[in-house]
Amino acid sequence: MLIIKKIFEKREITALAFLVILFLGVGLRNPDFMNAQSITTVLKGSVLYIFLAIGMTFVLLTGGIDVSVGGTLGIAAAVSATMIRGGTSVPVAIVVAILIGLLIGLMNGVGVAIVKVPAIIMTLGMLGIIRGVMIVYTDGKWVENLPDAFKMASQANFAHVNIYFILAIITTILVQFYFSKARTGKYFAAIGDNLEGSILVGIPAKKMIVIAYVLSGLCASIAGVIFASQVGFVTSNTGVDIEMVAIAACVLGGVSLSGGVGSVVGSSIGALIMTAINSALIFLKVPSFWNKSIQGTLLILIVVSDVLIHKYFEEKARKQRLSARAQCLDKSVEDSKDSKDAHISTESTFVGGNGQ
Amino acid sequence: MKRKYLSSVAIMLLVLVVMVGCGKAPAATPAAEPAATPAATPATTPESTVTTVDPADVSVVFIPKLTGNMFFESANAGAQAIAKEVGFECKYDGTTNATVADQVQVINSAVNQGYNAIAVSSNSPDGLNEALKSAADSGIKVVTWDSDVNPEYRSIMVSQGTPDQLGKMLVDMVADQIDDAKNAEIKFAFFYSSPTVTDQNSWVEAAKTYVAAEFPKWTLVTTEYGESDAQKSIQVGESILNTYADIDAIICPDSTALPGMAQAAKNLGKSAEDVIITGFATPSSMRDFIKDGTLKQFGLWDCEVQGAMGAYIAYWLAAGNDFVVGDKIDIPTVGEVEIMPNSVLNYEYLADDSGIVLMPERTIFDINNIDDFNF
Amino acid sequence: MMHKIKQFKAKWEVSLVIFLIMEIILFGMMNPRFLKIKVLLNSANDFVTVAIIALFMTFVIITGGIDISMGSVVGLSSVVMGLLWQELGFNIWMALVIAIIVGAICGAFNGYLIAFVGVQAMVATLGTSFLYAGASLVIIGFSGISAAEGIGGFPDSFRELGHGNLGGIPSSLLIFAFLIIVAYLLLHKTTYGRRVYLTGINRKAAEFSGINTKLIILSAHMLVGMGAAISGMYITSYLSSSRADHGATLTLSVITAVVLGGTAITGGEGSIIGTALASVIIGLMTLGLQMAGLSTQYVGIGIGILLVVSVAIKSYFSGGKVFSKIKRRFLPEKS
Repeated sequence: MLIIKKIFEKREITALAFLVILFLGVGLRNPDFMNAQSITTVLKGSVLYIFLAIGMTFVLLTGGIDVSVGGTLGIAAAVSATMIRGGTSVPVAIVVAILIGLLIGLMNGVGVAIVKVPAIIMTLGMLGIIRGVMIVYTDGKWVENLPDAFKMASQANFAHVNIYFILAIITTILVQFYFSKARTGKYFAAIGDNLEGSILVGIPAKKMIVIAYVLSGLCASIAGVIFASQVGFVTSNTGVDIEMVAIAACVLGGVSLSGGVGSVVGSSIGALIMTAINSALIFLKVPSFWNKSIQGTLLILIVVSDVLIHKYFEEKARKQRLSARAQCLDKSVEDSKDSKDAHISTESTFVGGNGQ
Repeated sequence: MKRKYLSSVAIMLLVLVVMVGCGKAPAATPAAEPAATPAATPATTPESTVTTVDPADVSVVFIPKLTGNMFFESANAGAQAIAKEVGFECKYDGTTNATVADQVQVINSAVNQGYNAIAVSSNSPDGLNEALKSAADSGIKVVTWDSDVNPEYRSIMVSQGTPDQLGKMLVDMVADQIDDAKNAEIKFAFFYSSPTVTDQNSWVEAAKTYVAAEFPKWTLVTTEYGESDAQKSIQVGESILNTYADIDAIICPDSTALPGMAQAAKNLGKSAEDVIITGFATPSSMRDFIKDGTLKQFGLWDCEVQGAMGAYIAYWLAAGNDFVVGDKIDIPTVGEVEIMPNSVLNYEYLADDSGIVLMPERTIFDINNIDDFNF
Repeated sequence: MMHKIKQFKAKWEVSLVIFLIMEIILFGMMNPRFLKIKVLLNSANDFVTVAIIALFMTFVIITGGIDISMGSVVGLSSVVMGLLWQELGFNIWMALVIAIIVGAICGAFNGYLIAFVGVQAMVATLGTSFLYAGASLVIIGFSGISAAEGIGGFPDSFRELGHGNLGGIPSSLLIFAFLIIVAYLLLHKTTYGRRVYLTGINRKAAEFSGINTKLIILSAHMLVGMGAAISGMYITSYLSSSRADHGATLTLSVITAVVLGGTAITGGEGSIIGTALASVIIGLMTLGLQMAGLSTQYVGIGIGILLVVSVAIKSYFSGGKVFSKIKRRFLPEKS
């Protein structure tokens, strides 16, 4: 029982369980979904979302939100693709794209942390601005016919695994280590958990919030370059609505929208789930007018069962503690533990954006 | 405190002024001009001839289904070119979303701005009717191109062909690549943008009917949608190939789905020998795929010419010209076109002042001619 | 404290009014046609779809939530009405009422997931936005009608809903005015409205003071669902076409209008008048920028800047200190 409880306390593991169930469930109906080729398709498709989710995790942990990532992705893809098609060397183009991402992230960060514009407004406004600028930059045209070498890099494999996917995994692991081991890595969650408290203990909150948005911009711009490489042409609607998918991926992986809770491994698994759903719909071989409702139903089922599972175990743990306390005379230890747990439980079931 | 608020308003206004200032730059003509023209043009009676109207006094707004799509951008290039050639004002205006409500808003604002004519590619066969009717009521000439509305609500439609013609073309591009297509038992799929988009669905419906009549042994295994999202199109494309490993042909009448599908096939190492991919897209987006043998042929009509025709006919009507079905219009750089009755698109509504101009022809692109086209 | 906030909010609305007037004058100077009464009145036809939903979205955002599924509800209600009328032979007004009920159910389901199950609002409504958009495609798919063509040919009496006018005032404005009054009374003059505010200011405290916050949140979402359905009915009538993709692009505009209207995205603060004013400002700005010659696809830049700058100004007045330094540097004469 304890083991099961421990397992379910790790949100990443529930997320992984959902992913496995999704594959098994669809695989049961159509075994082709489980073959190497289909899985590769999902892994390749998920790279973009993994990068977006990594960046988004930083921001969500601080209690903010970044809905401008779709725009950043689009403009980074357009700029890098235009340069590469024009003959600029790929590394230079990547650096320029990343600089754009950093700049957008910096503006978001300054707006949120220093000017104190609510995160969703700042990034929503920024999204509108970037989209417009992107149309001005591309003149509404597509960037087409990128060099084959640049395109085929996205198909390269290392030990039968797509190389971009490996890159995404390595980034995820590094960031995970940063969050769990480095001192500054823990600041992000601390800020999201309790802003005033974290300032009192000496965390440079403003600086860290700016950094979170800058990293989100950075990740989005990397995703933009990957988009250009994977897709091979950049349409002017690149990245539209992608921010919602990235946010959903993070939440599926256990990141709380009210800040302070979550891990980047979870977000990456969430990104895989979001991508797998897209492919799964085709393998299910249902008439395609069902696609959207199935997608929605799956998403709702996953988040609802996730919430219910965690509620169940929290409730159980609380009851156990209560009965233990009744028997135990030494209250003081229990009390402190209880209040701590109760704090966590309200957080994960908490609904709205009060937690600024 | 009060002063602070006034200053806040001042800052907002400052921003507004700056934006409007920026806004004026891309539009070739200042706002004052369209404001001045309506006074002149509604007064232009039908009898008046072209010579009395200075082309510079005529303003046309050219509305795509959505902006940022290569097809419509190319059409706009054609429209702008002919506007420059003839000397009338042509504003390109649309939103990034292919929705009826957004398009109606654009049309209403064109009416308010006092444009003389509208050339629109409609997002819906009946959703624009009301907006176009009130436009016509205020003396604005309405022309449609690419995608039509009910014929009562427009003067002339510049058509790339009937759904039947285009559906047949899609199927024939597949049949051409199969030996003994009549008796071949093949599996095929449709892959385009969404179930709600009008024209692509109408072609696909026509294609299905044509297949049922001509190629009864073909089986349609699936219809999938890419939502005009390039990355999703590739993922869906790969999944189609993985799910239906024995599929023979995929028809993609959408300018995002076709390059996406081709890239997907390429990623999985499939060429035109393994699976037939065809559809509609601009040649520039498909050039590389034709050259490396991912697909053999695909089609489109010359959208630049279509854009030019749409914009010119709108101008021609707004300049005070009248027509009855059967007349001919001489379009600079394009040539003479005849106004056909609505019945060529199977409409029941027939009237002397409502007709259709058919595009000269549609093109099938392959390795031999792909370099001849630059749009 | 409370009093101070109230005073501040009133002032925000005053500055919105001033901004609105100056906006009209400015655009009027750029293109005199903008000032024609008919143009100004009829512009409501286009922005009222956003405005109606924004009015009710104010409730949800005040409770500290958000709803991004309303665009799909607009399409779903439009399709439900069209199908009931055309396929099942319902009376058109009966169909309209049922469609609004369907909207309310959609909203209630959102509220249930959020308040009772405890799913985070943004994710729950993202899921349901797929679900509702999908549902409209499914029911169309079963009815055998092409989703692409939509359902049209509604009777004239229904057309009047979107095209009629009373003494020269278009029906869209009348509907808007009516709903402003309803929403205003509901939010600012009833116990229910006060509970909505309390839930948003501090949910736990509200709970302790005997308010059933779950029901409050559920009902707020239900209101948005109904608002979206009403908006769907209006747009169906206005365009004389019932389609699944109506409303697909409204989400961001609605949230922009609510936030520009002075509602705090974190909950607990906001007003109906502010939202209504902001909807009008955005609607007129879209039209004005178009009439000033800007192509519609660039209008988003303008709205984006407006949003960020106005909220930055607002947060400056509610105590952002560093910004005041910036301001002192740039506008020394005014401080």
